[in-house]
Amino acid sequence: MRFAFLVAWREYEENARTKGFWLGILLVPVIIFFSVQVPIWLETKGTPTRQYVLVDQSGTLATVVESRLEMSHQRQVLSALNEYARRQADGHGAAPPLLEEFINQGGQSNFLAQLQPHLKPGAPPFKSPRRAFQRAPEPSDLSKLSDLAALAQGLKPYLRGEKQIEVDGQSVSLAAAILIPRDIEQQVVRPKGKSPGGTGIEYWSGNLADTKLRDEVEQTVNTEIRRREYLLRGMDAAAIREVEQTYAPFASLNPKKQPGQEAVNTTDIIKQWAPSAFVYLLWVAVFAIVQMLLNNIIEEKSNRIIEVLLSSVTPGELMTGKLFGIAAVGLTMVGSWILALVGILFWKASGVAGTSAVTGQMLTVLYSSSLIPMFVVYFLLGYVMYAACILALGSVCNTLKEAQSYMGVITMVMMVPLMTMTFIPKDPNGVLARVLSWIPLYTPFIMMNRAMADPPLIDLVGTLVLLVVSAVGALWMAGKVFRIGILRTGQPPKLLEMLRWLKR
Amino acid sequence: MNNQSPATGTPLELRGVTKLFGDFRAVDDVSFSLTAGCIHGFLGPNGAGKTTTIRMILEIIKPTNGSITVLGESSALKVRQRIGYLPEEKGLYKKMKCWAVIAYFATLKGLGRGAAKRCAFELLERYGLKDFATKPTDALSKGMGQKVQMLASIAHDPEFVILDEPFSGLDPVNQQVMEDIIRDMAKRGRTVLFSTHIMQHAERLCDRILLLAKGRKIFDGPVAEAKRIIPRRVRIQTGDDITPLRELAEVVSLRPLPRATDELGSGAAANWELELRESGDPQAILQACFARGIRLLSFNQSDPTLHEVFVRLVGPDAKEASFR
Repeated sequence: MRFAFLVAWREYEENARTKGFWLGILLVPVIIFFSVQVPIWLETKGTPTRQYVLVDQSGTLATVVESRLEMSHQRQVLSALNEYARRQADGHGAAPPLLEEFINQGGQSNFLAQLQPHLKPGAPPFKSPRRAFQRAPEPSDLSKLSDLAALAQGLKPYLRGEKQIEVDGQSVSLAAAILIPRDIEQQVVRPKGKSPGGTGIEYWSGNLADTKLRDEVEQTVNTEIRRREYLLRGMDAAAIREVEQTYAPFASLNPKKQPGQEAVNTTDIIKQWAPSAFVYLLWVAVFAIVQMLLNNIIEEKSNRIIEVLLSSVTPGELMTGKLFGIAAVGLTMVGSWILALVGILFWKASGVAGTSAVTGQMLTVLYSSSLIPMFVVYFLLGYVMYAACILALGSVCNTLKEAQSYMGVITMVMMVPLMTMTFIPKDPNGVLARVLSWIPLYTPFIMMNRAMADPPLIDLVGTLVLLVVSAVGALWMAGKVFRIGILRTGQPPKLLEMLRWLKR
Repeated sequence: MNNQSPATGTPLELRGVTKLFGDFRAVDDVSFSLTAGCIHGFLGPNGAGKTTTIRMILEIIKPTNGSITVLGESSALKVRQRIGYLPEEKGLYKKMKCWAVIAYFATLKGLGRGAAKRCAFELLERYGLKDFATKPTDALSKGMGQKVQMLASIAHDPEFVILDEPFSGLDPVNQQVMEDIIRDMAKRGRTVLFSTHIMQHAERLCDRILLLAKGRKIFDGPVAEAKRIIPRRVRIQTGDDITPLRELAEVVSLRPLPRATDELGSGAAANWELELRESGDPQAILQACFARGIRLLSFNQSDPTLHEVFVRLVGPDAKEASFR
């Protein structure tokens, strides 16, 4: 065993010295960090206020659109103020106001005035979030144009970025132009009515991906048009609005939860989907590490080091050493990923607008569930299963190129849990999930995916026993193939020949 | 390296060892034993079964039949810490530093990590590789890499060392270094078994040789005894009739030799080679020449070389090996 440990230690030490190892360790946390942070940065800092030109020849819609966009901005301000109060104020126990209430009571200045006595000493001043959209005046050279088509033509160079518009004495890019025709009322499409024709409201923008402004405008205009339609037909718009706001309460309840706490909340949804994240992590970890193992064996075999090693250690010791050494490398990497994930969740939970509640719930799920212990068990067993196949494969191949063709088959087999990853949580105890769970090659991934769905005990214990037995069996077979294959040169053996080795 | 007491007893004994690969008989009923503290040459043409025998000795592969005793044990793995091995196919971990490779193999042979490291640096310094100690092995030339591997195989100061083709791929200077390492080990009472195709090395280094051909042992004994297999020869140059020499009891055969280019101008003088009986004394030939009035232009007596012994014993199989 001492020699197996020495082999394992060398594997670990040598891998820990490679750039790939450190890149592997650092890259995942960096990716997690940026995938969480970049959208926030983009929202708060990266995305500048987008300027739009609004020409309303009908003269009836511009105000509605503007007030709706202002309302959206005030919603953002209120959210930021609430988060600011949560972090920077003590004993400010009042419930956050509703948006309309907030605006009516004087908005940001009133809110801050009320908060002032409760602010912690040294609290930084509140930074109002940047306005997402701002209406810009029409370029002076186009302001006299009355024909919308000509106006659109004239705005094109601005929208293409070839020209800039003047806003408060500064040159800025124009993000969009909204052109509302004079006869927009006549162009309204009604069911059963004759199509009046016309292009309606024109929304011009070079950025097709960002539809936020377009959606807001479209929704606002249509709400207004419908409101007018109600009036036209002699209907009480206020009553209709009230009716529109009526609903029957609807609650999702989980029969597996304690009485009185059956309501499904965000934590439950996180619980349902968290295993999928772990399946993915498991898959990436197992795949990356067995690949490392394959490279390692091929290197030793092609470098002819294997013979010296085998004069010093038994094939069994060599195999065990490699298995554990590379597993330790893998566990270090995966462990650091999990730590980084938990660290980032902690950091986020400590308070960044909009993320703290969800991340706190994520942490609760991680603490209270058996996800992490299950991950470790399934990682080790899954790794042993696949590593056994790789050890056998690596021992009979002389070059990486030779091994890659066989590796393709293993990769295809390994793709199944990835492909089923999103189906399993929807029916975690269904036939597909149960059948796949009993296939030892898939057990770690599928059972991990079912982890939060309380699978039947027979599935949980039975598949685990089968997995342990299969892993030991796979190791035994790999040991037999490894012992003979590792000294073999020339063409890889046929499958039948390898099966004969098992009898020796 | 420590100076542990030299090996005593029989370091290696093979009895009726056979190895079959399918129907192919790679090693066929081979028996021999080594003498402690001696350098043994393991000779034979390609495919003779040398590497297979070595792998069986080290228990890397198991014999089909027969038994092997290494340092008194039936399994080399039980005494692996007392054995050193340099395989025919040389290779090192490319990214590992030279000292680390030597130290790693030494720890696998039972040395503590600290002792292995010290020993690695000491050996690298002793054999002129000090400057490369902290360099990765892929920065070494082939010869230097081979030296590092040799040092890795002897870092734990084994009692019994097996070297498979230790000279292949080395330049003359490094071959000399390798010879020195082997002699050094023998001087300290270690038993060395090395396989080679280069007869000059075997002739210079070996106390005993072991010759294998087509998986069978065809000679096992001291180098002097091997040379006695080939009759001693005398070469003479004369312009006289040498027929009377045929009648001498010492002479087995007499044949003319082609003239060398620089002798072409020397009149009617011809070169002859006389093969003597095992006990034949070259001095008796000289006396007979004087007695019969044969005037000699030159007289040469020479022992057969190991190369000649090899060619004679191995026969047609030797051709490939002798051109190496």
